[in-house]
Amino acid sequence: MSRWVVLAARNLLRHGRRTFLTGSIVVVGFIAVTMTAGFVSQTFSALKDATIRSVGGHIRILDPRAAGKTDDEAATILLEDWPGLAGLLSRDPRVVQAMPKLSFFGLVVKGDRSAAYLGTGTIPALEKQASLAADTVVSGAFLSRNDSDEIMLGTGLARAIGAKAGDLVTVMTTTPDGGINAVDATVAAVLGYPVKELDDRILFMPYGAAARLLKVEGKANSVVVLLKDDRDTDLEARELPKALALEGRPVAVKTWLDTATFYKQVKLLYASIFFFMGLVLAVVVILATANTMTMSVFERTREIGTLLAIGMERSSIRTLFLLEGILLGLIGSGIGAVLSLLLRAVLNASGIMLPPPPGATRGNVLHVDFIPLSYGIGFAAMSLTLLVAAWWPARRASRLNPVEALGHV
Amino acid sequence: MPILETRGLTKTYRLGEERVVGVVDASLTLAQEAFAVLAGPSGSGKTTLLNLLGLLDTPDSGSLIFEGTDVSTLDERGRARLRRERLGFVFQAHQLVPVLSAEENVALALWIRKLPEETCRTRARAALAAVGLGGLEARRPDALSGGQRQRVAVARAIVGEPALVLADEPTASLDSETAGRLIDLFARIHAERGVAFLFSSHDPRIVQRADRRIRLLDGRITADEHVAAGACA
Repeated sequence: MSRWVVLAARNLLRHGRRTFLTGSIVVVGFIAVTMTAGFVSQTFSALKDATIRSVGGHIRILDPRAAGKTDDEAATILLEDWPGLAGLLSRDPRVVQAMPKLSFFGLVVKGDRSAAYLGTGTIPALEKQASLAADTVVSGAFLSRNDSDEIMLGTGLARAIGAKAGDLVTVMTTTPDGGINAVDATVAAVLGYPVKELDDRILFMPYGAAARLLKVEGKANSVVVLLKDDRDTDLEARELPKALALEGRPVAVKTWLDTATFYKQVKLLYASIFFFMGLVLAVVVILATANTMTMSVFERTREIGTLLAIGMERSSIRTLFLLEGILLGLIGSGIGAVLSLLLRAVLNASGIMLPPPPGATRGNVLHVDFIPLSYGIGFAAMSLTLLVAAWWPARRASRLNPVEALGHV
Repeated sequence: MPILETRGLTKTYRLGEERVVGVVDASLTLAQEAFAVLAGPSGSGKTTLLNLLGLLDTPDSGSLIFEGTDVSTLDERGRARLRRERLGFVFQAHQLVPVLSAEENVALALWIRKLPEETCRTRARAALAAVGLGGLEARRPDALSGGQRQRVAVARAIVGEPALVLADEPTASLDSETAGRLIDLFARIHAERGVAFLFSSHDPRIVQRADRRIRLLDGRITADEHVAAGACA
């Protein structure tokens, strides 16, 4: 086989400029595949981080009665004794923190203006560490104490009632037992939330104040667990319920991914774009290479006739041209891999700032991830593409009539 | 046993709406020690008959017996195997592969027989030495003269130790002196190795040197002369 590989390599060098141009398309294609994969990976990573921060953690612990229910359906199902549960969770070495979340809704009023809100009762210090909210303060200061009558509002909500940091507003809600309660609270901060629908409705209140407002002290809709390592999410989602059940605290769990519809949609969209781009790239490479190979067959018609005349099998002629295609794919991919790594190093060192990914508040410094799989896929895809491109010219060459080929001018 | 025997070999071609006669009812027998030439003017059917005898083309009718076996009904692979193992070809232009060295071009005829690399190399070098090109093994065709290239082609034709070498106008693209030396080479190989040669040529020197002259006109064999080697036509 090696002698035919050598012959194929020399045939590629026969028209150096043409091979260089065709090979350049392969190189560019390979770089495009690997760089896009690296960039998309980094975007997914940033998006994942933003999604986890929007929840405040990786895993939500719920009352077992909430299992299989949507968040709306489970809104009235409360966990008892969340501090006890948080205490058990804090013994897990993979857990950074566990914070309660109370969900409620109602009207926020300032003077004669009111607007509906979606409220979250949380522990300010823990929320600040784990959540997106801390990055979104546009005026005022983040909630400071757990029992103070303070709130934070989304910009849209604050605008709707004409409130600003330092103003006094009234927060009204319905308690789980059906009564109506209200509290006067100071607007500690206004948040610029990245999702407009949330920005128009969101309200944060310290857990202590929210629990008093709802008359549910010691209870929570969920306890959100922040892990040290994202990769432990699935493991913890499996192990925590078992461990807590042994402690006499049966629970249901949901991972951040279980409810991350937006993340999944964005990922699907990116994957579709990536696939379409790859398809276009493959077509371009196939057309360019098939053209080169066809020209090569045409120019070498007499030579092919000679090879057939001296007894070379038609299948061997076909293999020779296919080898040329695969070789071009492999060499182009090899050069592409080296250039891709160099370009990645340059871009990663450039410090270019990118705008925030969808749903995030902070932009990131451009970083193209190194995805070994994309390099493997690049090699396989380019070789396969070149094989497809070489197939028809190779077939044409192998089906030449030796007498006609020898007489070709 | 004759090396080759044909009966009523006929080949016509379609040229647009017209059918053009290539060879009509060609019957001949070629002995194992033949040094024969198909002679005739351009368009007389020399190359067509040579292609049929070399299993490069298939006849419309008639039979072709090669070394006692009817090969006229062989399939594509069978014909390729026979060409590979029992026949050698020399063309008007050298038809060497430009990206291969002289040695590799000769070895090519053995590569396609899937022989070990060392065997291919040794035999290719020996064949090149036999045609007087020892020392030029590494040169590529573009670094050789026209005569040297044609000698490489001869080496390629004989390296597989064929029973018959078919040479189509082998001297047509050579100057007189080079052509003369090439004809001498053919005669020497024929004498030393006992390989049968069948030329298609209107070069009078080849016709003169051949011991058998099969003359064609309009696709028909018009004369078949057995002469003493070197006799004048």
